[in-house]
Amino acid sequence: MDLSRLEEILDSKGSETFAIMEVLQDVQEAYRYISEEAIVRISERLDVPVIEVFRLANFYKAFSLTPRGRHLITVCAGTACHVQGAPRLLDTVLALLNTKPGETTADGAFTVETVNCLGACALAPVVVIDGKYYDHMTPGKVRALLEDIRFEDELAEDEDEEEVEAEANA
Amino acid sequence: MPEPITIFVDDIAIETTEGANVLDAALRAGICIPNLCYLPEVTPTGACRVCIVEVERHGRTKMTAACTLEAREGMIVRAHSEPVLRARRNIVELLLAEAPESPVLQALAERLSVTDVRYSRRDRDCILCGRCVAACAEVAKQGSLGMIGRGANRHKGLPFYKEEYCTQCNECHDRCPLELSPSGRRGDHCGVCGSELSMNDAIPDICEDCVLS
Ligand code: SF4
Ligand code: FES
Repeated sequence: MDLSRLEEILDSKGSETFAIMEVLQDVQEAYRYISEEAIVRISERLDVPVIEVFRLANFYKAFSLTPRGRHLITVCAGTACHVQGAPRLLDTVLALLNTKPGETTADGAFTVETVNCLGACALAPVVVIDGKYYDHMTPGKVRALLEDIRFEDELAEDEDEEEVEAEANA
Repeated sequence: MPEPITIFVDDIAIETTEGANVLDAALRAGICIPNLCYLPEVTPTGACRVCIVEVERHGRTKMTAACTLEAREGMIVRAHSEPVLRARRNIVELLLAEAPESPVLQALAERLSVTDVRYSRRDRDCILCGRCVAACAEVAKQGSLGMIGRGANRHKGLPFYKEEYCTQCNECHDRCPLELSPSGRRGDHCGVCGSELSMNDAIPDICEDCVLS
C-alpha cells in the first residue's frame, strides 16, 4: 500500500490531536477506507493510542475499515422507501452485483449499503449512487443505472490502456 | 495546594480538599458508599452508577455519581437516604441482570438487600464497567484496550481485535468484577454497606466507624 498520500495528509493537518477527525476523513476519501497501517501511522504521528484511532474509525459510519468500492450505492431502507418497494430494489442491486449489504464486489467496483432514512421520503424509493440522489426508483431503472456505470468504467479503462500504449509507443 | 474544606456526608463532617473526589473522601473517612467501577489508582469514569448519591447545592438536590463528584466547601451529600437506596438497588438489579452468575455482583446485591431481579437475565460476559480499559491505560500504561462500538453493540476490545496489541500483563483481568471473586476479607466487613470492591487497601479497617454499622 502506498502511504505517501497519508503522509501528505498528516503533514498538512499538523500534529495536534484534535486534527484526528479531519485526518480520518481525508484518509477515507483518498484510500476509500482506513487501513490498519494507516491507523497505526496516525496513532504515531498524532501521539494517540492505536485503540483510540481504531475506536473512532469504527464508531462513525462514514469511515470504513475495509476497502470500499469505487462506486458507493446506498439503498434507502427507511419506512417510506420500504413501503414503496426498497426491498425489491435492494434485491435487484445485490443480485446484479452478486454481493451483500455492507460488502464490496470482488472486482472492487461497487459497495452496497443500506441506510435507515435519507430524509427524502417524498422521493421514495431513493437510491444514492456516488453521492447523487435518484428518486422514484424501480428495479428496471436501477439496473439501467448500474449498466451505465459499468459501461463508463469500461470506456475509462480502455482509454487508460490506450494512453499507456501511446506512451509506450512514443 | 488545594484548599482544605469540610463536606457533609450522611450528616458527618469530613475534612477534605477542594475538588477532591467525594467517594474517595467518604471512604477514607470510613463511610462506605457502595461502588463498583471505581479504582482508587485511576481517573474515575462514573460508568456503573452504583456509587450514586444525592447532593444538595443552592437549595436543590440532584442525584449523581460520588466518584466523579468534586468536593466543594460545605457540600451536603446523602449516600444512604431512601431515594438513593432505591435508585442504587435498581442500578444493582440492572447490573445483576446482565451477569447473574458473577459472585461480585451477587455479593453487592446481597449487601443492598436486592433479592428479586425484575429484568430479564442476559448472561453477558461484560458489564461495561470500564475497569479493564482504565487499568490498561493508567496502570499498565499500555492504552491497548478500549470500548468499541456504540449503543447495544458497545464492547471492550483490542485494536483490530488482535492479540498482538496486548502485552498479557493481566492488569485488566485482575480488576474485572466478572473475574474477581469476593475476597477472603469478606468477614472483615460489617456487611451492611456496599461491595467487596469498595475495600480500599489504604484503609483496610474501613468498616470500623461506618455510620451504617
Ligand atoms: S471486561 Fe470486566 S472490567 Fe472490563 S468492562 Fe467488562 S466487566 Fe468491566
Ligand atoms: S459510577 Fe462511581 S463507582 Fe461506578
